Amino acid sequence: MKNRIRVLRAEHEWSQAEVAERLGIARQTINALETGKYAPSLPLAFKISKLFSLPVEQIFDPNSVEE
Amino acid sequence: MSEAKHTARERAIARRYVWQMLALLALYIIILYVSIHALQTGHYSPVFRDLIAVTPVIPLAGVLASVIQFMLSVDELQRQIHLEALAIAAGVTAALAITYSFLEGVGLPHSQAWWAFACVDLTWALALPFVRRRYE
Repeated sequence: MKNRIRVLRAEHEWSQAEVAERLGIARQTINALETGKYAPSLPLAFKISKLFSLPVEQIFDPNSVEE
Repeated sequence: MSEAKHTARERAIARRYVWQMLALLALYIIILYVSIHALQTGHYSPVFRDLIAVTPVIPLAGVLASVIQFMLSVDELQRQIHLEALAIAAGVTAALAITYSFLEGVGLPHSQAWWAFACVDLTWALALPFVRRRYE
């Protein structure tokens, strides 16, 4: 699933490890999210939304979801 | 500056898991040695003999608890990766078990079931990097 996590992370000048620490997840998981290799669960998507203070639909692209 | 490969939380979870496994392995070796020695030297009722024979299962139950604790500690993607690798390990072990049972039918020596435990552990570890690659 396409998303803006990498862009938002860069805007906040956070490293992948910093974001991973803040979300309580592995650095590899952040990398998989950024590259679109993994679509997060709803609770994790909301945690990411809260971290960047943006609605979920402004972070994740609903049009990129595979049917 | 290169970015840390793992977060402090990941390292803490991994450290706890490794120490638990090492402690349980040491306990397993001690209990196994004591139970074999006891069975070889003592005379017991059939029920007590069977109880002594299965005492090495106690640390193995600890291993199971430790694996479950590990699975519940990691995040959702890491859990998915481990469960996919574990599913492959279970499939490979089941396939090997049924294959060898056919070979037993044509005269190969009867095998002991303990190898399945080692086979699941080994194939789980071998499958992990392949499963991880799908998410990199």
